[in-house]
Amino acid sequence: MTKTSLLLAMLLASGATYAAEPVSAPGVAAEADGFTEPLKALKFNAGLDQREFERSTLDALNVYDPLESVNRRIYHFNYRFDEWVFLPVVDGYRYVTPQFVRSGVSNFFSNLGDIPNLLNSLLQFKGQRSMATTGRLLLNTTIGIAGLWDPATMMGLPKQSEDFGQTLGFYGVPAGPYIMLPILGPSNLRDTGGLVADFAAEQQINFLNVAEVSQDHPELFLLRSIDRRYVTTFRYGQTNSPFEYEKVRYVYTEARKLQIAE
Amino acid sequence: MPRLLRFAALMAGLCLSPLLSAADIDEASYGFPLTNPFEATIATTPPELRAAVPDDRDIDQADYTLNLHPERELEVPDNFWPVKTLRYRMAKQKGPAPLIFIIAGTGAHYSSTLAENLKKVFYGAGYHVVQLSSPTSYDFMTAASRHATPGVSTEDADDLYRVMQAVRAQHPEVDVTDFYLTGYSLGALNAAFVSKLDETRRSFNFKKVLMLNPPVNLYTSITNLDRLVQTEVKGISNSSTFYDTVLRKLTRYFQQKGYIDINDAMLYDLQQSKQHLSDEQLAMLIGTSFRFSSADIAFTSDLINRRGLITPPETPISEGTSLTPYFRKALQCDFDCYIREQLIPMWRARTDGGSLLQLIDQVSLYALEDYLKTSKKIVVMHNKDDVILGPGDLGFLRRTMGDRLTVYPHGGHCGNLNYRVNTAAMLELLHD
Repeated sequence: MTKTSLLLAMLLASGATYAAEPVSAPGVAAEADGFTEPLKALKFNAGLDQREFERSTLDALNVYDPLESVNRRIYHFNYRFDEWVFLPVVDGYRYVTPQFVRSGVSNFFSNLGDIPNLLNSLLQFKGQRSMATTGRLLLNTTIGIAGLWDPATMMGLPKQSEDFGQTLGFYGVPAGPYIMLPILGPSNLRDTGGLVADFAAEQQINFLNVAEVSQDHPELFLLRSIDRRYVTTFRYGQTNSPFEYEKVRYVYTEARKLQIAE
Repeated sequence: MPRLLRFAALMAGLCLSPLLSAADIDEASYGFPLTNPFEATIATTPPELRAAVPDDRDIDQADYTLNLHPERELEVPDNFWPVKTLRYRMAKQKGPAPLIFIIAGTGAHYSSTLAENLKKVFYGAGYHVVQLSSPTSYDFMTAASRHATPGVSTEDADDLYRVMQAVRAQHPEVDVTDFYLTGYSLGALNAAFVSKLDETRRSFNFKKVLMLNPPVNLYTSITNLDRLVQTEVKGISNSSTFYDTVLRKLTRYFQQKGYIDINDAMLYDLQQSKQHLSDEQLAMLIGTSFRFSSADIAFTSDLINRRGLITPPETPISEGTSLTPYFRKALQCDFDCYIREQLIPMWRARTDGGSLLQLIDQVSLYALEDYLKTSKKIVVMHNKDDVILGPGDLGFLRRTMGDRLTVYPHGGHCGNLNYRVNTAAMLELLHD
């Protein structure tokens, strides 16, 4: 008797749960398992013989790179330098300095960088951007205490990078051959020229006296290099592909095109 | 009497089956905003809905190296020096704590975004965390895999197991209370096979194994992924490729925005803008990323085993040698091509051979059906709109896992793994 009532109770209980969830009964048809078949909504090429991935990727491999052999060796040199010197130094820097010091350092050098950003915005007649960068420089250099703090970004004036390579590109100078620069990484002939021009301009302007002081205090230059690596998130090997060189080359080339067009 | 017994068994079955049914999270209470599976897969959760996780600088972590195959030093050309030893990442808690291994998905590195996010979630909850690259990744294949031909799940699990044992041996000072195991995508399938292996080798006695978005039938999954690059994408012509189309949209998006700002929210924001990508284009992008994985796998496996399909054996390769010609060849090889040209021949030669169907049965979750049914420590989280699943796959999981399966209505493939509802559920599932 007790057995029967127990069974009955269990049966009732199971009925109740069944009602709450009708789809999960065992052995039902495939569609009832809840799968929504996301691929069904897509339009596929009828013959499934489209070669667009292959075509696009083969096309993307056509970057003018006459110095490839040398570039690849420099890429490997940079990779090793990064692993054995640069990143350990950055780790040490991270270990010995508190966070607020590191962001102060990053903001300070970033504020210096707004000078070439402004110059190059002006050279490209980008009025709005020049105004915004001028605003950033004024705010960050004064309220931000010589750039140690970045109140401008918080007030809605984000940093907008413009370098001389972009300016050259804006005036139609072609990229030229792809160049892997020692330590600095991917570039091309135009952007390498731009880099030199921006550096020369910085020496001339001597904003906040940094360029002049750096000549007597190479440690300032060192700190700047460490900060540069500290804020750059790229890690060699992060694409985890035997074809990282090709991928970096394509991404660099396209990213520069995008920066110039924008 | 037998009839009575049979009746009792039937009743017991009826009573138990609903109790053991999967937890289906209903759409209204779930609140995940991306109902489009392709957007979810690419953009993942909008930043404001992500789980709060510790910052990188608050995590005591470092990368370590294992030298598992010293002979590869000589076998593999010099310009693969970075992957001749296997790297992994470990985050340590101060005192005794449980340790969780994270296995990355197809082709993925231990430091891929998904693995990093999972690390932060588990580290924040007090676990020591070890991140491992997928057995299908370039570094793992070169440095840790015995055959460097991934895809036979039992062999991959064996390779992973050796790595995990070596990791444990390298850190005797780490005080571990219990071992846990998780993986996403293909890494989830790997986790199940590793757990099975652990039942006999007993090095870890995993307390819980969490599978996130696993493939059920491996062949269905790779067929789906291979097909994604066959969608009809608009805007391509003789002079303009698919990448050009996407980059054009991106350029216009930034021009309209007024400045370039690449961050976590960008993809989400792009999809809300006029320049948003169509479902076909998103699918093509997902397919493209997997085709790069299959190209890497095909190239690396061929090179290490000297099969001569892509790289002629004995080709002198130095640091200055261009690999572009091999890339051109490898990128034409999708997963199906890799399986037919490299995996099946090797598997046939090593075992007594068999058909593709037999291979599929051996390497998919079907091979573990009985184990998954009885092993209560294994839990699965999946999505109803995951692109790697085929019809019937969720049904298999429902039958096999019962109440140890949680099914979410949205999220695409792993797009909701950083959604705070999901991360809370993960920790909950590991906890009890």
